[in-house]
Amino acid sequence: MRSNRKIRITALLFLAPTIIGLLVFRLIPIGWSFALSFYDWKIFDTPQFVGLGNYAHIFTSPTAHKVFLNSAYFSAIYVPGSIALALVLAVLLNNGLRSSAFFRGAFFLPYITSTVAVTLAWRWIFSTKFGLLNNALDWVGVDNPPAWLADPMWALPAVALVSIWKDVGFYMILLLAGLQTIDPTLYEAARVDGAKPVQRFFKITVPMLSRSLFFVLILALVRSTQTFEITYALTNGGPNRASTTLAFYVYQNAFVEFEMGYAAALSYIMCFILGLLTLTNFYFRKRWVHED
Amino acid sequence: MKSIRIALGAMVLGAGMAQAQDTTLTFMSWDPDQLEVEKEAIAAFEAANPGVTVEATAMPPKDYWPRLSALAASGDLPDVFMMSSGFVKEWAAAGNLKDLSGVVSDDQLAGYYEGAASVGVINDQRVAFPQNWVAPVLYYNIDMFEAAGVETPQPDWTWDDFLNAAKALTIDEDGDGDAETYGMSLYGRYAHIEPWVFRNGGRYLNADETALELNDEAVNALQFLTDLVNVHGVAPQPQEMEGVRQQDIMPLGMAAMWVDGSWNIANTRSIVGDDFRWGIAQVPLGPDATPDNAAAYAWADMLSVGAGSDNPDLAWAFIQHMVGEGRQASDFLGGKVPAYIDIATSEAWLETDQMPTNKGLLLDIGAQNVYTGFSKNWSGWRGYDSTGSSGMNGELDEVLNGRKSLDDAIEALVIYGNDILSR
Repeated sequence: MRSNRKIRITALLFLAPTIIGLLVFRLIPIGWSFALSFYDWKIFDTPQFVGLGNYAHIFTSPTAHKVFLNSAYFSAIYVPGSIALALVLAVLLNNGLRSSAFFRGAFFLPYITSTVAVTLAWRWIFSTKFGLLNNALDWVGVDNPPAWLADPMWALPAVALVSIWKDVGFYMILLLAGLQTIDPTLYEAARVDGAKPVQRFFKITVPMLSRSLFFVLILALVRSTQTFEITYALTNGGPNRASTTLAFYVYQNAFVEFEMGYAAALSYIMCFILGLLTLTNFYFRKRWVHED
Repeated sequence: MKSIRIALGAMVLGAGMAQAQDTTLTFMSWDPDQLEVEKEAIAAFEAANPGVTVEATAMPPKDYWPRLSALAASGDLPDVFMMSSGFVKEWAAAGNLKDLSGVVSDDQLAGYYEGAASVGVINDQRVAFPQNWVAPVLYYNIDMFEAAGVETPQPDWTWDDFLNAAKALTIDEDGDGDAETYGMSLYGRYAHIEPWVFRNGGRYLNADETALELNDEAVNALQFLTDLVNVHGVAPQPQEMEGVRQQDIMPLGMAAMWVDGSWNIANTRSIVGDDFRWGIAQVPLGPDATPDNAAAYAWADMLSVGAGSDNPDLAWAFIQHMVGEGRQASDFLGGKVPAYIDIATSEAWLETDQMPTNKGLLLDIGAQNVYTGFSKNWSGWRGYDSTGSSGMNGELDEVLNGRKSLDDAIEALVIYGNDILSR
């Protein structure tokens, strides 16, 4: 009895650093920020309780609506775009692409490179008059190519493109690991049965990779709502909010306008939407994810 | 008895010295480059106040304001910190700034530019003291003017004179419809637009600064400016120049004129070097201007004492040192005008041996009727720093890029801005 108590105390002592860290740096701030979302608090001023005022303002604000639509548009480009490209690259590498070690490194490199540095390079590439892209388009005969970062129609797709380019290597590695667990005899059997490469891909590769794909889907979905650094360095949310997504809008409200309560309310709405999307994905998981 | 008194006196003095040795004055700045320059002045203050240590930190504005705000929220404001003309009203209203009214004498004030000094008075309380001030000016490329046979900007220039010059300076050498060099460079940002608006008697805000109500003079000025791009083609669309820093366009010789803050003098010197001669002028008075409504656009960078400072007297002494005789002309980089008149009018600051040779023009601007146009949540509705792509800045860029009419942009701006102002 006494030794059991001693064991429990010892266990608690070992757990204490983690529990205290979790409480102080995660759980208490999360709870505090939820409470904050009911206050009007310009951080250097005294907080005023406004009840659901911040939430009501968000739901009626044209700017907030635009930001939510932008976020959905960004996710609609980023999630399928990054997963599809990662899958193609992973399959190519898995099928013995020449110099695959080199390409594996090359595709992964953007993910571990400084975001701000590479984004500035992309900014030069996208420059309207002096950029590599528009000069290349001009060279192949395209008249008046777009002002990629200054045109509301193109700014958000440009941010999404750079985000895909930056993250695709990471997703590719995850999918490549999944591909390498697929039993090669399945492909041999299918080949013997006369299955064509496309059939083998959709009937074997995709189902056998579905668990990895599901994991990547959830990751990509979460990351798509958190885009910040690339937006900040590439377009600053512009032109005229055309590329402002939710995470960037939270930042602007919290650290430029110092509207902490409003920013907290936005964060909780983002959290709610993300939770809903993740639950929806888990609900539909059984329809397409192949379990062993 | 005498020896006892001496011993007691020595103990008190010792205690005082020990206390003085423990005194640390905290100072926070938004300009790391400026702080490097200020280290000598800070060391001089420490030398003049034995036992006092000044703990100075600096970070760029995008980090400075969140950090300072967090310190205010936790009640740990520095003893002395830089305060912007744009935010001083909100900070004073929140009770974060010590009232210095009682300690600043009229004699002391007489040594400073009145316009700059007045910005730090909120509700009859002096809550900030100016260190330097800045003002947007018209930069112009003298060589381009001479090559085009156009007279350089004159004090009595009208907006028509300016437009005619801009037309003559817009040159399409190969006749492909795209000018190689433009007469003017223009974006929707505050330092590009407001000098014209205020010099035309324009105002964006109502009298108590609680709502956006653009007067006719402001709308006329905005129409004139947006027409420069959309009607006259004497300035490039902002989207055409995407990828080039706006402050580099004129210094790189792509445009002959450009209006922006005097703080860009240092950058312009650095880029232009000896490539061409350039000067500065005041933005011409607008057609709607009257002596009553026309105003120069200028604002001060100031120093404040934290409301909860444990060393308010020492903090004020430090401010006096940092804004006045304790400084040298070389401490004020480029177009930052010292608020202390003796330094600003010195040959060392006027730098007539380098371009622009007429830097004294800034002093004339400071002597005029000055209006800042700042209000609560100004950065939000105007579009500044990390919100620079939105607000009025974003709307005007839409007009300059030919995607929106000015009327539609103003309508959208008023809705957006009033929403922000109502928070």
